[in-house]
Amino acid sequence: MRRNTGSALAALGIAAFLLLFLAVPVLQVVRVAFSDGRGGFTLVNFQDFFRTALFAESFWNSLYVALMSMLLATAISVPLAYFTTRLELGGAILIQSLGVIPLIIPPFVGAVAMQLVFGRSGSVNLLLESWLGVTVPFMEGLNGVIFVETLHYFPFLLMNLSASLANIDSSMEESAQNLGASGLRLFRRIVFPLAMPGYVAGALLVFTKVFDELGTPLLLNVTKMMGPQAYLRITTIGVEDPMGYVLSVIMVAFSLLAMGLAGLALRGKEYATVQKGAGGLAKRALRPWEKAGCYAVVALLLALVLSPHLGILLLSFGRVWSFSVLPEGATLAHYAEVFRETPQFMTNTLLYSTLAAGIDVAVGTAIAYLILRTRLPGRHLLDYVAMSSLAIPGVVLGIGYLRTFHGLTLPWTGQPLATFWPVLVVALSVRRLPYALRACVAALQQVHPSFEEAAENLGAHKLRTVARITVPLMSGGILAGFVASFVTAAVELSTTLMLVSTDANAPLSYGIYVYMQSAAGRGPGAALGIVAVALMAAGAYFSNRFIGQGKLGVGAAGGAAA
Amino acid sequence: MRPLRLMLRAAALAAALALASAPARAAELEPKLVIVTSFPKDLYNVYAKAFETKYPGTKVEVLNKGTSAGIAYVRETAASPADLFWASAPDAFEVLKGAGLLQKYQEKARGIPAKIGAYPINDPDGFYKGFAASGYGIMWNTRYLKAKNLPDPREWDDLKKPVYHGHVSISAPSRSGTTHLTIETILQGEGWEKGWRTILEMAGNFATVTERSFGVPEGVNNGQFGIGIVIDFFGFSSKASGFPVEFAYPKVTTLVPANIGMIKNAKNPRAAAAFIELLLSPQGQALLLDKKIQRLPVLPSAYEKAKGLPNPFKDLSMGAAVKFDTGVSKSRYLVVNTMFDQIITFRLKELTAAWKTIQAAEAKLKGKPSAQAAGILEQAKKLAGTPPVSARQAGDKQFLGIFRPKKKGQEVPKRQAEVEKEWDAFAKRNYAEAQKLAAQAASMIK
Amino acid sequence: MSAGVAIQGVDLAYGPVRVLKDVSLEVRPGEFFAFLGPSGSGKTTLLRLIAGFGRAQAGRVLIGGRDVTQVPPWRRNVGMVFQNYALWPHMSVRRNVAFGLEERRLPRAEVARRVEAALALVGLADYGGRRPSQLSGGQQQRVALARTIVVEPEVLLLDEPLSNLDAKLRVQMRGELRDLQRKLGTTAIYVTHDQEEANTIADRIAVLDQGVIQQVGTPIELYDRPANRFVAHFLGTANLIEGEVRGGAFQGGGIRLPLPSPPREGPASLVLRPQHLAVLPREAPVPPGAVRLEGTVRGREFLGSAVRYSVEAGGQLLLADGPHRRGETPAGPGEAVALCLQPDQAVLLAG
Repeated sequence: MRRNTGSALAALGIAAFLLLFLAVPVLQVVRVAFSDGRGGFTLVNFQDFFRTALFAESFWNSLYVALMSMLLATAISVPLAYFTTRLELGGAILIQSLGVIPLIIPPFVGAVAMQLVFGRSGSVNLLLESWLGVTVPFMEGLNGVIFVETLHYFPFLLMNLSASLANIDSSMEESAQNLGASGLRLFRRIVFPLAMPGYVAGALLVFTKVFDELGTPLLLNVTKMMGPQAYLRITTIGVEDPMGYVLSVIMVAFSLLAMGLAGLALRGKEYATVQKGAGGLAKRALRPWEKAGCYAVVALLLALVLSPHLGILLLSFGRVWSFSVLPEGATLAHYAEVFRETPQFMTNTLLYSTLAAGIDVAVGTAIAYLILRTRLPGRHLLDYVAMSSLAIPGVVLGIGYLRTFHGLTLPWTGQPLATFWPVLVVALSVRRLPYALRACVAALQQVHPSFEEAAENLGAHKLRTVARITVPLMSGGILAGFVASFVTAAVELSTTLMLVSTDANAPLSYGIYVYMQSAAGRGPGAALGIVAVALMAAGAYFSNRFIGQGKLGVGAAGGAAA
Repeated sequence: MRPLRLMLRAAALAAALALASAPARAAELEPKLVIVTSFPKDLYNVYAKAFETKYPGTKVEVLNKGTSAGIAYVRETAASPADLFWASAPDAFEVLKGAGLLQKYQEKARGIPAKIGAYPINDPDGFYKGFAASGYGIMWNTRYLKAKNLPDPREWDDLKKPVYHGHVSISAPSRSGTTHLTIETILQGEGWEKGWRTILEMAGNFATVTERSFGVPEGVNNGQFGIGIVIDFFGFSSKASGFPVEFAYPKVTTLVPANIGMIKNAKNPRAAAAFIELLLSPQGQALLLDKKIQRLPVLPSAYEKAKGLPNPFKDLSMGAAVKFDTGVSKSRYLVVNTMFDQIITFRLKELTAAWKTIQAAEAKLKGKPSAQAAGILEQAKKLAGTPPVSARQAGDKQFLGIFRPKKKGQEVPKRQAEVEKEWDAFAKRNYAEAQKLAAQAASMIK
Repeated sequence: MSAGVAIQGVDLAYGPVRVLKDVSLEVRPGEFFAFLGPSGSGKTTLLRLIAGFGRAQAGRVLIGGRDVTQVPPWRRNVGMVFQNYALWPHMSVRRNVAFGLEERRLPRAEVARRVEAALALVGLADYGGRRPSQLSGGQQQRVALARTIVVEPEVLLLDEPLSNLDAKLRVQMRGELRDLQRKLGTTAIYVTHDQEEANTIADRIAVLDQGVIQQVGTPIELYDRPANRFVAHFLGTANLIEGEVRGGAFQGGGIRLPLPSPPREGPASLVLRPQHLAVLPREAPVPPGAVRLEGTVRGREFLGSAVRYSVEAGGQLLLADGPHRRGETPAGPGEAVALCLQPDQAVLLAG
């Protein structure tokens, strides 16, 4: 039994962490949804939900937006993923890295920028109107939400799909070609089905994220959706109103349902492809005109997905941008202002995201180890619970934290625990844990157990083996998980907005949000957004390179999302 | 009995003196000051800096939250409160005051009159102080109006005109304390039923209802929509930041003070007091004229240096048309907000469709008068312009109780969700019917 | 230095699958021992149990007389060479080899000295700075060996160490392993599914099938005196003639073989290696004491030194080897022959 005490202690520690910072806050929310306000159990709140036309419409709107975003994201991701993984196309790493950038722009900044570019008086529509006399309602109502969300979340699909595609042995494709399949048919019948697990994982992520999304619809003033309704109920009517909690519970339940269905869809099908031969993965060579065509498609897609960034860039350098195709006047004043006035937003973000991502890879590595290397009873439960945070909307977690911790105060300063910044770090780490966890599990799956057994055999006990062998061998995946957690934690807003207590303790995303609330703050807000994107993009690119020619990074980050 | 009571009083006095002498001993303030505010960074930063320059030993921590979120925060953190609540809407302060979350403070600053327009600057009970005045009005993007060939709007009634269909925006009163005041001003100025008719008719022209107060000036600034119903400083500060926008006060407006109040059991009462005094001092009042802030000072002498800002202490017509009753506003705060969301925000598509059809029919009617069509159209307008709650109901205490936080064991006739469901159904049905009638009327005019 | 290993009554199951069933066996100090069996026989599981990996539901493991059943792998001082070598790719060859010594907290100088010595011993003195991925399969195998022996384990465990090498290298490494073990004097346990490998390298062999030890013995004992049909078949080719023991003789398949010391009467079978069944012309006489059997050739295979005939005799097909001499034409299918059986070469199995 002694040999298991270490693992058991680790499992207990993680269980306590998940219980305290994920399960309890969420259950608080669930509890209120079933409460009649006097401490009794009731389903009447759910009756109210299902009988109210507004909520029903909100539900269908969320579902519609989520499905459409998933489809659009597919249309963007499939060509980008296929071109960069299966074809001999120069600059694949760069394309992949650029393709991930939309994920690291705070979504509300993206929404502001897209209003300027695609809005009813945005650059595109102004040009269209002057040339053709027509305008296209890209950003009106649900369209806008679908558009912004698609551009923000498609990288999840891109990463997962790329990882899956990269893992298909080229002999699969070649044998199909040998049997006479080619072109689209080959892709449809062989390549895509083999990439199904990655596709489903990515599409599911896009779906649930969009379904729960709060910030973007709010920013676009779309309120007839689930996330905004829940948020509005709780923030305007008050934390005592049960409907907000009911909405939260239904969102969580629906996300879990979607995850379950996706799991069922993949169950019982064999997707594992034969182990790669020594030659590795051969990419298909292209004829010059094919290459040109691919680059054209890639350029078009990248231009589309990076247009919010372009908008923000212009905004950050422009003096005034109003009802015009481009801003007027160039200035560096906005950058000067943010570096002079609010450097703490940047340092706080670095601090919080580093800590949160650090917690994530530590917990992720530990859970991966427990699942794959021990036979501890209940170890899979840890995995499921940790992953379930994917299904918990940020608002719900934020509300849960406020409810759970607001009564508690720190012993020495008397500060409420809910507003103590490390609590925000913990919340961020819980939110991003699934990314790091999947990366760590994928990394450990690739480490053959005999590496560790050899170490134990040579006299290293479990902990030493983990430190000297397991973790170093997992380092690529751990780093990828760290980056995935880090960049996404850095742009997290919904939980942040609920839990940030003071300006001095606020991270970038919050800072941008605050800047964006005043006429003079738009420029500095945009500048801060560009700083954030630049920091994260550099980080992502270099870790991608560092991990090894992009493949592992993309794979592990993709695994993160699976 | 008597001597004992005297002794007790003496003891209390001694204690009070001892307490009072404490700040005297240390003119120095606590090292920290925590402010909860709904104001933008551009405003609070200026004051935080001025304060820290004046009192270098004290660090100002600002918690920037929306008004409603700010109230919720103060409520939730009562065990370990922040020091100051600083926001525009007096209603918010009334809510906090009602919940016993504020403490009285007697300011030392002099020279601030009792009223601005028809509105008292300070809370008569002394719980919060006005430090700047704001009026509600209309802001528009000059390029936008020019490009679309629209006239400048001046009055609320202008916004009902068909030319502005799809060009107007407002933020939801449930999300923005200032919009709530605008809505209340119209309701108090015109009466409950007529007021809602005006609001619903205006709403027929709305392009959108934004979820943040700043969403409106932001949209007007970048030209997403031409016209916004906003609080004055959004207009002034946008203009001062270089955007091609203008702002005008309609006749029916209220000048309402933006306020600051000390939170009950504030941790740093001396620093909090010092901050209030700074805000009300000539120095603090002058800071309101900063081009990023642009709010109306409550100290008349501050207007000497104000350029481009109207002076309500000279122009006495400003904000005098409506005598704003905070008691009424407070009593139906949640009803007005919730109803606005249910019948306008969430049903905007149906509402604007109804009014568009009505406007089209009216235009047709102008060319060819038809009494029958006019009658049906009037019916349609009534349907699309009537709130689900009558004036009587809006004053009914038991009904209003549905929207208050419930005390344990308190029975209310209905759950809020049930009432909302009824409103939603009411709005949906009426707007559809109105659109049908308007279309019918239009088809009768041949 | 070297220690014996004792396995006593070990039962091990993964869920419902019983992998080892009441396994007991003794490996003597300094012995080169082999676990031989088909895949799934439990031989690797048994080896890993000695190293401390896996957990038996019942039974004990003793090393050098010490009960180590509850001792974790890192305190057992048994060296294991893994089938895939398990060389850590993030460390150089030198760091790989030094690992075990570092874990034993030896002084740095001694670690360096012993690492170089071990590398020299396996003939890789100049390869310390390389990464494992920069070595050939054979070299990796040697590094794995060096990494294990450098800590001077009491027992050396080898899990199919040669299976990833090509045929020629395998034979060479086999010899080297054997020599090295002799030189070090360490007890070695070697897992393989290849009977030829086991025969050439091991002092003694335990044959496993379906988690049960079938027989333990020297290669010759196993070949000559297989304890059961499985062993008989697994080590070399064998004919099996079903029959019974009755009246002091084995009867079956058209044969009656008198037994000098007859066992209990009942069903039995007779194991006969092909080379112990001589193929003669039908009319040729058989030596005295031998049993004669008549049959017809049904097929033949040319093995080089001999010809292997399939002969139908007594209602069954028997394999029998005839010598091959240049110029001689072996008997062809359909030809009538006589088979000559030496009773002392036959092994009788009960049941």
